[in-house]
Amino acid sequence: MTILDIRNLTIELETDNGPVRVLDRFNLQLAEGEIHTLIGESGSGKSLLAKAILGFINPRWKITADRLWWRHYDLLALNNAQRRIVTGRDMAMIFQDPSTYLDPNDKVGAQLRETIPAGELTGIYLKRRADRQTRAERLLHRVGIKDTKEVMESYPHELSEGLAQKVSIAMAIAHNPKLLIADEPTTAMEPNTRAQIYRLLAKLSAGQGMSILMITQDLTAVVPESQRISLIYCGQLMESGPTEQVMQSPLHPYTDAMLSMSLFNQNAGPKTRLPTLSGAIPTLQHMPIGCRLGPRCPYARRACVIQPPLEKRQQQQYACHYPLWEDSGHD
Amino acid sequence: MIRYTLRRLTLLIVTLWLLTVFLFSLNYFFPGDPLTNMTGIRASNTLSYQLAAEARGFDASIISQYINFVGHFVRGDWGQSLTTQRDVFTDLIPLLGGTLELSLLAMILAMVIGAPLGLYAAGQQRGSMDRLAMGVSLSAYSIPVFWLAQLLILLFAVKLRWTPISGQINPLFDIDVYSGSIIVDILISDNPYKQAALLDAINHLWLPVIVLAIMPATMLMRITRNSMLEVLQQNYIRAARARGLTETRILLRHVLPNAMQPVVRQLGLMFSILMSNIIITEVIFNWPGLGSWLVKSIYERDYPVMQGGLFAFAALILLVNVLVELFHAWRYPQVRKELYAER
Repeated sequence: MTILDIRNLTIELETDNGPVRVLDRFNLQLAEGEIHTLIGESGSGKSLLAKAILGFINPRWKITADRLWWRHYDLLALNNAQRRIVTGRDMAMIFQDPSTYLDPNDKVGAQLRETIPAGELTGIYLKRRADRQTRAERLLHRVGIKDTKEVMESYPHELSEGLAQKVSIAMAIAHNPKLLIADEPTTAMEPNTRAQIYRLLAKLSAGQGMSILMITQDLTAVVPESQRISLIYCGQLMESGPTEQVMQSPLHPYTDAMLSMSLFNQNAGPKTRLPTLSGAIPTLQHMPIGCRLGPRCPYARRACVIQPPLEKRQQQQYACHYPLWEDSGHD
Repeated sequence: MIRYTLRRLTLLIVTLWLLTVFLFSLNYFFPGDPLTNMTGIRASNTLSYQLAAEARGFDASIISQYINFVGHFVRGDWGQSLTTQRDVFTDLIPLLGGTLELSLLAMILAMVIGAPLGLYAAGQQRGSMDRLAMGVSLSAYSIPVFWLAQLLILLFAVKLRWTPISGQINPLFDIDVYSGSIIVDILISDNPYKQAALLDAINHLWLPVIVLAIMPATMLMRITRNSMLEVLQQNYIRAARARGLTETRILLRHVLPNAMQPVVRQLGLMFSILMSNIIITEVIFNWPGLGSWLVKSIYERDYPVMQGGLFAFAALILLVNVLVELFHAWRYPQVRKELYAER
């Protein structure tokens, strides 16, 4: 069942040089209990998307969408207060540098305790307090922290980044959210810790049917548990589909380029250069019209100045006039 | 924390020691006889002079003179005044009380005015009230305290006649001086007109307190506003909102404590500024405190009193600074980490 349905989401920022479209007719469908990985380079608008879903909206952004539905709520129709209730109840987010998301002058235990929803506690004051404590400990156990006492008595600066991320995951899952958005949760972490965090997230998703929108920079960070991936370039959705299928047979030149750029590329001979797209990511003020990959795309033709519609082929969605399959006219 | 406390206390002791070296050397730089400068006993008073010279090791080397100086100093023998022949240390205690009373009240008033106004300005960020508050605070901050004091006296004491021009209390109330703090002294006295005396004392007190409080209040206001705005931008505040905590709870538990951190850090500095203002204010309001005493001693070339006053002021500022730093480190633990990281 689709719980998050985004159709043609557009975000425009007001700047001195007129509006800038940072997210251009973006589409995303997320099913219950699914892990969906969103891949995009920095500045591609992926964090903005997360903010738009959660409702951290700056009044200077202009957000339009054909659909921005969370379960049966039309998020764009809700006012701020209603939206915060829905978001606070159903969604949670973890971030890139977790320790800055913890209050530096408050003990970790106290911060963890206060995230436990008061509605789930019963009894009088002292019992509620004890209840909070045991629940907080249980949360820490669930994210794989064994010496709960020590962690709860620590201040955030005394935790490693990995531990801090585990604590923020514990906080995020305190109210059993239906959707967890993980915005590059493991950047700047050691590979070992990184693997731990990913395993933990996959376990949580499988265990309680929590959907996870994982936001990362490159294809190497896609975890095996991720059912679907989407690639976003300069605010436009390039390709989306089941992980295996997209990796095996990419339809969009961008996906293809990303794959051959990545270290998965088995075809590259020893001591050869990894192929890269020519040119650089355009700045926000100078976005090309039509398909924004156009100027860098090796297959671009005249038609590419018109933005290609999103098309579907065997569960794979792509936005390209000249997709990469046998009878598509490529050489 | 224990380690941090010890380090701060060591620093305090070392600084106080350097201060005694400085005071000791002053006696030799001041014009006149070093022993007279030190003890306040003139050479014409032959017998006492000889006794003092013996007791303070003036027949031996300068090192032993210094050791004797510190010995007397620690025992509370700070010499006697050259003009009144009264013991400096016994005179100093009630004056210290008077100064502390004035400075503490001014600090409290500054906090009561400054911090809430800063919070309010932060709430109205870049609004007209914010601009107005910041503009007023900048102008108030730039007014020199001696001028402000005289203006306010002119207005409230001379024109409006709401308050006496100077002094601590009407001398008709015969209040015995114990602590020097007029309010404390009235409360512990058995004067039959206690209430009237208290009212009169407060009537004398409020104007100098306001004069003193204005500068720290404007500083507090600006610091509070800026740090408040900074904290509101922090990730952990946004994350707390995303977790669905109530706005009141976020404000009380996460915004305010963190926003107060720079304020606490600056309290020591503010107290130092307050101390230099209090000297002027005490002279203008003829307030019996350390400041007016020190200024008078300078006019009269009363060297033993000057030393005592200097030491009292310096020690007070140092002590308050160390206490503020200790409180800061105790309340905001990540400060301690910064210090350890430097090792």
